[in-house]
Amino acid sequence: MSVVSVEDVSKTFGAGHTAVTAVDHVSLSVDAGDIVLVMGPSGSGKTTLLSMIGTLMSPTTGRILISWQDTSTLGPAQLSRLRLKEFGFVFQTFNLLSALTAEENVMMPLVTAGVPRKEARAKARMALEQLQLGHRLRNLPRDLSGGEKQRVAIARSLANDPRLILADEPTANLDAKTGQDVTLLLCETACRENRAVIIVSHDQRLRTAAKRVITVEDGRLTAEEPGEHNLNCRMHPGTAPS
Amino acid sequence: MLFLAIKNLVQEKTRLLISVGGVAFSVLLIMSIQGLYQGWSNKIGEYIRTVPADYWITQTGATDMFHTPSVLPLTVRDFLTGVPGVASAKPFSGRRVAFAHNGKDINVYVIADDTEINVGAPARVVEGKAVPDKGEIIIDRVVGRSENIRIGDTIPVAGRTLKVAGYSEGGYILSFSFAFATKEDAESILQLPGATNFFLVTVKDSTDANEVASRIEADPAVDAITKDRFVENNTNIVRDTFLPIILVLLLIGIAVGMTVIGLTIFTSTIEKAREYGVLKAIGVSNRRLYTVVVEQAVTAAVLGYIVGADLALAVSAAAGTFVPEFITEIRWLDAAWIFAVTLAMAVVSSLLPVRRLARIDPAEVFRA
Repeated sequence: MSVVSVEDVSKTFGAGHTAVTAVDHVSLSVDAGDIVLVMGPSGSGKTTLLSMIGTLMSPTTGRILISWQDTSTLGPAQLSRLRLKEFGFVFQTFNLLSALTAEENVMMPLVTAGVPRKEARAKARMALEQLQLGHRLRNLPRDLSGGEKQRVAIARSLANDPRLILADEPTANLDAKTGQDVTLLLCETACRENRAVIIVSHDQRLRTAAKRVITVEDGRLTAEEPGEHNLNCRMHPGTAPS
Repeated sequence: MLFLAIKNLVQEKTRLLISVGGVAFSVLLIMSIQGLYQGWSNKIGEYIRTVPADYWITQTGATDMFHTPSVLPLTVRDFLTGVPGVASAKPFSGRRVAFAHNGKDINVYVIADDTEINVGAPARVVEGKAVPDKGEIIIDRVVGRSENIRIGDTIPVAGRTLKVAGYSEGGYILSFSFAFATKEDAESILQLPGATNFFLVTVKDSTDANEVASRIEADPAVDAITKDRFVENNTNIVRDTFLPIILVLLLIGIAVGMTVIGLTIFTSTIEKAREYGVLKAIGVSNRRLYTVVVEQAVTAAVLGYIVGADLALAVSAAAGTFVPEFITEIRWLDAAWIFAVTLAMAVVSSLLPVRRLARIDPAEVFRA
């Protein structure tokens, strides 16, 4: 089942002589359980494409369907709700809320979605424990290592059981091993729970996690090849696919 | 989202202190000024309220004890006692007199204490003699303390030297205070041969007071003013004199509070712009984020109010001890409206940060 459908989408910044086309007639479909690695040089339009899929930016032409819903027909409040329910975000710079503990950071999307605080806390705790951060629940981001921060960000991205996880350069601010470990952890968790993952990265080693690798150059999708996916996607007992 | 607002506030303790301090200062200023206004308004009417009269009879056109002079011949008493329904009519003499003490002019409102007819006695005597003898005067304790005039000291009043025999209370009115001398001494000071300033009229029970007043005012030389109205006319002096100043100071207090909260919350919003962008990206609606900012401002304002109100109470108590003229009365009603103003300050000062928040582009979070 298609989670995301990108249909002939373009994005142009500016107008007239100064117009720059960052994404140029891209079409793409991502199904549940897909792990798509988007690669390409800097400035090729990867992040713009990711922003549009994440409904943080609207396309100039074309349309994007999330779970068969045309995002161009939705208002800002509906888009917020869509992001809250359907998406999990993992950022290059982790982007944890500095005033909140690891546990509270993970609770944030849950509480926003209306989950009672007690239940949200229990869920956040469980998610962090699954990512081996049970001993860091009460720590503020400043007290966590880069890898730990990214794992908290992963837990946060998974908190609301989203269908799609969007990760932008998730290894960029981590050392090589930690970066790979953390991203593989994200992919493995998502894969086990049949979620779709789109990762934008320069990191070639992430091919081992990806089921598909897409190359973007000058805003165009120039190549698509199978990834070297070799992750353990067996479900944990009691974990149902969404 | 209140927990996020509180966490954001507590995270930056110095900024929180500045916010709370700014609001506290503002509340302290507003509450102290309002307390002074209320205290003075009450004080000015306090003595008049104790004077036993249903009506104050004044010379036509005179409305209070201080602004407009009222001089009535003593023969008016015969007219008043002849008015049907009047139970008693007693002369009340008093006027403002200045005397020099330690090189400073001190204003007192000398009242004739006529023990024969029980008119003109102090409201409360707190130290010394309750009734002055010839050559003696009772002054207000506030003046005694602030001007260092002790019981037993002598003061020159209108060419006479009077010995301070006691301190009274409740008669301090801003720039002057009530003082009480014997009828004979007062007549000598006030220079009112065959005249008085007011008559105090009491009305017989079971008589229509308004009707009695109409009968009295049939004499075009006099006005009959109810006690409540007379108190109000006198307390209006404070309102007329100080209200414009108080309003300006209140506005300054509100502006200080709003500026401090506005700036601190605004800088906090700018510093956390990226985090707000993240929240927008993960699906927190703009409305909820605005609520977070308003909650931050309101939380800082409430903390500032608690500190400011406590300080105002402490300052009032302490200042009243050291500066006797600092007479304040902080009422629950005033505390409530100042709290409402504080909340309004917080909400209004959130508008600028909220505008900034509205412009944060969530797509920025993908930029490293």
